[in-house]
Amino acid sequence: VLRRFHSSPVCPKSRPVPTEFTNQDGKKRDTSLVTHDDLFERVAQDVKTKATFNKVVDLFIKADVRRRGHVEFIYAALKKMPEFGVERDLAVYNKLLDVFPKEVFVPRNFIQRMFNHYPRQQECGVQLLEQMENYGVMPNIETKVLLVQIFGEKSHPMRKYQRIMYWFPRFKHLNPFPIPKELPEDPVDLASFSLTRIANDRDAKVTVYQLPCTDITESGEEITIPHIVGIQSPSQIEQLAQHNPSRPVFVEGPFPLYLRKKCVYYYILRADPIPADEKVEEPYDPERCLDYPLQLDLDLDRDLGDEESFDVEDLDEGPVFAMCMTSQGDQATLNQWISGLQQNNPVLGQVPTLFRLEAGPKELQGTAETESGHHYGSDSATQREERQPEENPDIITEEEPRRSQGMKL
Amino acid sequence: MSLPKITHLPSARLLTSFHQHRQQLLHPSIAPLPAPRRAVIQGQYRRPGQPKENKYPWQKINFNFLKGVEGIKKNFMLLKKEFFDPWVGPEGKPVLEHMLEQNRVVWEFRGPESLEQWTVSSDREIGGQSEVYLKVGKNNNTGFLYGTLSSTPPRDGETRYSGYCTMRSRQLMASFNRKKHHDWTSFNTLHLRVRGDGRPWMITIGTETYFSHQKDDMYNYFLYTRGGPYWQDVKIPFSKFFLTHRGRIQDNQHPIWLDKVNTIGFTLGDKADGPFQLEIDYIGVCKDYAHTEEFAYELYKRNPEV
Repeated sequence: VLRRFHSSPVCPKSRPVPTEFTNQDGKKRDTSLVTHDDLFERVAQDVKTKATFNKVVDLFIKADVRRRGHVEFIYAALKKMPEFGVERDLAVYNKLLDVFPKEVFVPRNFIQRMFNHYPRQQECGVQLLEQMENYGVMPNIETKVLLVQIFGEKSHPMRKYQRIMYWFPRFKHLNPFPIPKELPEDPVDLASFSLTRIANDRDAKVTVYQLPCTDITESGEEITIPHIVGIQSPSQIEQLAQHNPSRPVFVEGPFPLYLRKKCVYYYILRADPIPADEKVEEPYDPERCLDYPLQLDLDLDRDLGDEESFDVEDLDEGPVFAMCMTSQGDQATLNQWISGLQQNNPVLGQVPTLFRLEAGPKELQGTAETESGHHYGSDSATQREERQPEENPDIITEEEPRRSQGMKL
Repeated sequence: MSLPKITHLPSARLLTSFHQHRQQLLHPSIAPLPAPRRAVIQGQYRRPGQPKENKYPWQKINFNFLKGVEGIKKNFMLLKKEFFDPWVGPEGKPVLEHMLEQNRVVWEFRGPESLEQWTVSSDREIGGQSEVYLKVGKNNNTGFLYGTLSSTPPRDGETRYSGYCTMRSRQLMASFNRKKHHDWTSFNTLHLRVRGDGRPWMITIGTETYFSHQKDDMYNYFLYTRGGPYWQDVKIPFSKFFLTHRGRIQDNQHPIWLDKVNTIGFTLGDKADGPFQLEIDYIGVCKDYAHTEEFAYELYKRNPEV
């Protein structure tokens, strides 16, 4: 609706707005001073969806041709968008931009252009675009057309739009580990997606050891069986096979992993690094690769200018053998994971496994200095989980979740 | 035609929905800095609600004997180093090594004394509830930055967005508190070895500037972590860093000048509330001969006058 803002209301260019318009939907006609938040709050009693949001905006648009108070209305709408769940919806933003009266704020001569024509409305437009940018919503051609109609070409909102359109495409695909916008809802799918992400190996295979379900036992209690999803790659299987059975392996966790806003936790199975004297350098097997020699015995010198590695000592934190994700991180579930892993790695039957489960900011535990003194002798016997009795019963010592010793938060 | 001054200073926004921190150096004990009385161009951030300090400049000097003795010791050690280093070669390294260096480790976290080169800061200065701590990792071999992010804005009527945590390196000092700069002209890539938790961070490099308007100029780029127990090698060429001022990306871009680099920093401002952690092994610069790009963004004037 194009109409000059400043024309006199006397000339009947259009019909006067019928007064019972605002009484639709049974909402009371309030003549007191109310903020526009009220409109949204009145709808708040119903289900907050995009449809209701659009309805409120329509209500405002129809109420007044001159759109009195549209700046406050738009600010209120922007604030309420997250509650209605429409903050990432471009159509809603375009509809909200539509609230501005068109062609009124476009500067018509050089003086108006010089003096920041209609500063409050321009600021409101900029804030709207800033909220779009905040939520990562890419504007489209409709937004541009609306902005040109409302503010003209050299306005601040138009400049902001141009900046968004310049920088967003450049930054959109920068993530070398992209996360899809819609994460899978199913916890097993989410676990397998995140495990493939952290595995760092394309050949790693995801195995689901247990699917989640809720059981009702005879006594009527509900027991939720958590899902257990594990991942292991062939090189990890090889490394585990070469692991010395007298050295323990550790199950550590839970480590946090963030996918956009969602935090999932994973556990790892690792061992301490082999001390230097026990390291065995296996000679390269020349038949492993017949295309080219894997080891060259040349006497070439590298100059200072060809040095390609950093002058830092290599951190050896010990190999990581497998990773898993489960919703319940207690020892019983993790034991199930280990027994599931045992099918592919028989050496786990002889190797002692230590559990180090604690909450708090997590780092891979270092070497032996972190052994805690909380060994419960007879208590752990009752809580010990025995593996299948065919293998040699191994010692599964339990370290109870260590109280923070001033290092964690 | 300039937009009237909008007082939402700490709600600095970057065009990719990250929050950028205000560049303030703080001691790790996170005590709020009092605002100076005379600030010419918005010198220090004045937290809304805090009264202006009415102290004269000479009243702010703190005389302390022990501090003086320590200062003398430190400065003379540095002076000695500066005197004897040129005998070995430029910047304390033999000439050939200085000229032909391909990789240089600038910061590495081995032992607690490496933590003194860094300072952490968070939302708390403007009244938010994020916490951030820096400690040495296990076996004294890594730096571990951890804390909690909370994006509830402080209720001071001015701030609209909140929730950031940063870690920033301190300015290099020569003897007697003179500023020293990093000279990275012979390198073109930043190489980091980090282990994050999947959150996207922002790396900020601050260079030495001449004009006071350029005080908050930073060159930024993203650090996407993968998460997981494996270390991640991140190589970012310096041509990718874009110019921002107080967290807002600028229209007139130019490649970063590497001859006087002051500080490097890591910021977290993704709006995911909750605990975070980042482990850093080392930060180095290297020369990648395969990278020939001079600058990743266009250099032409983007806002020509009407």
